[in-house]
Amino acid sequence: MRAFETALETDPAVAPSAALRRGRAIVITSGKGGVGKTTTTANVGAALAARGKRVALVDADVGLRNLDVVLGLESRVRHHLLDVLEEKVALETALVRDKRNENLYLLAAAQSREKEDVDTVQMKALIAQLCETFDFVLIDCPAGIEMGFKNAVAGAHHAIIVCTPEVSAVRDADRVVGLLPADWRPELIVNRLRPDLVRKSKMLSVADVNDILRLPLLGVIADEPGLIVATNKGEPLAYDAASTTGAAYRAIAARLDGEDVSAPTVNTEVGLFGKIGAWLGGRA
Amino acid sequence: MSARRIVITSGKGGVGKTTTTANLGAALAKRGHSVVLVDTDIGLRNLDLVLGVEKRIVFDLVEVVEGRCQVRQALIRDKRFESLSMLPAAQTREKTAVSEEAMVRVIDELAEMADYILIDCPAGIEHGFRNAVAGAREAIVVTTPEVSAIRDADRVVGKLTERRMPLRLIVNRIRPEMVKSGDMMSVEDVCQILSAELLGVIPDDEEVIDTTNRGEPIVLDDTKRLAAIYMKIARRLEGELVPFTNLESPNLLKQFFTLWKAG
Repeated sequence: MRAFETALETDPAVAPSAALRRGRAIVITSGKGGVGKTTTTANVGAALAARGKRVALVDADVGLRNLDVVLGLESRVRHHLLDVLEEKVALETALVRDKRNENLYLLAAAQSREKEDVDTVQMKALIAQLCETFDFVLIDCPAGIEMGFKNAVAGAHHAIIVCTPEVSAVRDADRVVGLLPADWRPELIVNRLRPDLVRKSKMLSVADVNDILRLPLLGVIADEPGLIVATNKGEPLAYDAASTTGAAYRAIAARLDGEDVSAPTVNTEVGLFGKIGAWLGGRA
Repeated sequence: MSARRIVITSGKGGVGKTTTTANLGAALAKRGHSVVLVDTDIGLRNLDLVLGVEKRIVFDLVEVVEGRCQVRQALIRDKRFESLSMLPAAQTREKTAVSEEAMVRVIDELAEMADYILIDCPAGIEHGFRNAVAGAREAIVVTTPEVSAIRDADRVVGKLTERRMPLRLIVNRIRPEMVKSGDMMSVEDVCQILSAELLGVIPDDEEVIDTTNRGEPIVLDDTKRLAAIYMKIARRLEGELVPFTNLESPNLLKQFFTLWKAG
């Protein structure tokens, strides 16, 4: 745990900083699918907006969009990313305002198009334009490392890596870190942690995960069935004042916003997984 | 010999394609079939980890396609089942290193060596998806009972239907207690939305995380409830009519109270 705390203190990206002059574009990525990128994007975005920041969420998963569903905005989407890139509508027209927070906006992905219909130059220009009017632009990256990934990363200044405590997710996350610009310092969110399983050595601990990835730890989200329900209902838990998961998202938002909150803590650092080190050693 | 060529796909990532591929493959091998598993997730391979063969990889799919080795040389035989082998994906290359035509050639060649070829598809519907589907003649769509997974699966079902590919559904990670409380979609709901035939229902089981991390498909352990479920799916795949497992907890007291309340 100590290593991450030091990393958090020394990383300028999370250190308390002067007011941001322009928006910060952050891509939320993972390599592996289904680890919680979209849920993270929605919740961190909602928590930042609740702090009074102007936030734009961009769904870069052309063809398999889901951010609209998680935010409960699917029936309000009328235009999408490609409409803007192809200059069919103005950016302001395509943005959908959140039902609960007027600081939060969504730019939906096209559902019936392909990721190859977008290129990195267009994405860069679009994200730069959003950064002029928003404090934070969060880009929800598709799974994989194909064209959709390249597009999602193109306009970003910073990355958040979402990873679950599973060997396959860690391996994919490690691969993605290697594909990001070398001067970035991506931050890590460990998602779906089950402290009970970690205690029984049936799940990797946060320390195990970060032994491999070695990234500044931005947050830890415990697995809870309530998250599935909230996602299905389109109500981000970050808005739920009583939810501990919501509180974890709010702490992540505070850290991103430069507030000096204490490092994420988990009281389950007992995992001893030799295997993960073994496969790293055997990796090409 | 000409194998059945089945792609395991989903649209959404993390719903259990790789775990399903490994376990179904092991189940078919356990039932005496010769099976080849193909990992098409170039750059983000994981099937090797789930099978616990990651240290035995010498050649990979891309090297086969580029003619640097024979398909047979790249195949890794499972330690536990002689009739189960896998063709790993390349880790440091891009999905575009393989074309659909090349994929068909590799699968055609493998089809002469086995009864079943299971192709583990990457997440998404990009180049990697098209490659994985190219060599297949039938598909298994894996989904979880979540709105986002079903929406993605629907998109994939559409793409497979366009290709006139027969498909069946595996609903993964179902939690009967949440279905009961109305917090999770039921299997019937999922099948209805996707209008697809059901091949199997797999309950959410925390043991899968551990067995996956250790590289030991859960099918290997006959005492596990999921092992029996995967074996049944294998039999259904072979064409047998096998009734679906009742996932409700066999808690008689609870059943009594439910009846009592209902009565």
